[in-house]
Amino acid sequence: MAMTARQRAKVSLYIQAGIFFVAMAALILATDWKTVGNSVFNFGKIGPMFPGIIVIGLKNTLIYTALAFVVGLSGGLLLALMKLSTFPLYRWIATGYIEFFRGVPALLVFIAFGYGVPLAFGVSWDVNVVVMVSLGMVASAYIAETLRAGLQAVPKGQMEAARSLGMPMWRAMVTIVIPQAFRIVLPPLTNEVILLTKDSSLIYVLGLTTAQYELTKFGRDGISSLGAGLTPLLVAGAFYLVITIPLSLLARKFESRSARTKR
Amino acid sequence: MNDVVIPSRNHTGSVHAAGVSIKDLRKSYGSNEVLKGISLDVAPGEVVCLIGPSGSGKSTLLRCVNLLEQPNEGTIHVGGFEATDLDVDIDKMRRKVGMVFQQFNLFPHLNALGNCSIAQTKVLKRSQAEANKVAQANLERVGLGHLADRFPDQLSGGQQQRVAIARALSMDPELMLFDEPTSALDPETVGDVLSVMRNLAKEGMTMLVVTHEMGFAREVADRVVFMDGGVVVEEGVAERVISSPTQGRTKEFLKRVLDPTHIEISE
Repeated sequence: MAMTARQRAKVSLYIQAGIFFVAMAALILATDWKTVGNSVFNFGKIGPMFPGIIVIGLKNTLIYTALAFVVGLSGGLLLALMKLSTFPLYRWIATGYIEFFRGVPALLVFIAFGYGVPLAFGVSWDVNVVVMVSLGMVASAYIAETLRAGLQAVPKGQMEAARSLGMPMWRAMVTIVIPQAFRIVLPPLTNEVILLTKDSSLIYVLGLTTAQYELTKFGRDGISSLGAGLTPLLVAGAFYLVITIPLSLLARKFESRSARTKR
Repeated sequence: MNDVVIPSRNHTGSVHAAGVSIKDLRKSYGSNEVLKGISLDVAPGEVVCLIGPSGSGKSTLLRCVNLLEQPNEGTIHVGGFEATDLDVDIDKMRRKVGMVFQQFNLFPHLNALGNCSIAQTKVLKRSQAEANKVAQANLERVGLGHLADRFPDQLSGGQQQRVAIARALSMDPELMLFDEPTSALDPETVGDVLSVMRNLAKEGMTMLVVTHEMGFAREVADRVVFMDGGVVVEEGVAERVISSPTQGRTKEFLKRVLDPTHIEISE
């Protein structure tokens, strides 16, 4: 009855796989497939979603994400540099900003900048501006922490070597330190973009016109108009994967390439 | 003090040299005084080796010369610049002072040629074509012209250090600082780096070298300065200090360095 360690590991793996399959089977048997088929996998009725979900929903999700990311990246870089500054006031401002915007729900920020600020100052903001400001400011806070870690991961000797060659501080940062930091933060930065892609759905609180619909709003609209249950949401969800999975693959490719040419 | 420098541009070959004059230099980290009043002169074209046990302050002294460390007291003149003057244009001064680090500190995202040209284009505002020419010439000078397109991680330690020397030389410095340039190297690559430094000395470059290579110091240095505990204990002609030191601490140190198997048993 004596088993080697390798045999025991094998048996344990079989048992785990067995439990998994039994659980799956139980779930499948317990499901009311008729209802589910009508309300979640009812693909016969979703024809009217096309091509709108692509030319409007997908397009707007991409635009909102890109706008927020541009603001988030520049704001995040600025905040990261402030946080690393030797000047205490800069550090305090950056720390306060980051703690605040990381700590409050993005939805509240959308409401604040979508309704509160325009009301307070008597302006009316385009939906693109609201996305840039609210999602951009939230993204800045997260990206700042990522970039700060990346900047600190670049060895101190790099800055010293650059300064020794007569480069001023800002020049050494731009030419030597930041390019290396970006390679380090590429994986966590990809993560930020994926989070932004999904958070862009929060824009629904503004009450969009049809041309401003992004993927989630498009799906929700489909629920009430198509009579296919929740199926439109499933379709919208699939389109998020169409964005995020290639993004992950792209980042992985960059990563392995920069690993090959350096370090 | 301004008698030491005539800056001039000269990409390769003969060099224009600047001197260094250090007076009563003090440097502390908190309550720990690392340099306790150092005075040291290096004439233009002279090669001076700083030796001494670790923790003696020799690297700190070297790093004060191009202000990687900020001294607390005393003055440093480098060529026509007073480094310790608070109004000194620190970046302009550093262009004249090449620095070579123990850990090379090459830029990993640039190839050898890029490492040698980046500061030329960004700081000296040379055209990319001119900078590449100068960079290539200096890579040839250290015997690595054929590896110009290699990235640092594709080079051996000795090759990386020679690229680092070429990078410094590409700025046409008038003074070169070496901070234990061979300490991080595999023994078989030390010779290549030392021979590049020997050639540089022959060309008339002013050099201040922190080193544990006594053979190099004896052969190449005009003068050797022995430091211990933040002060200069003994200095003089290289051959004399290494072969017949007069101070007890120097003798003790040299005995340990020249004969590593010698073990001192204190009573």
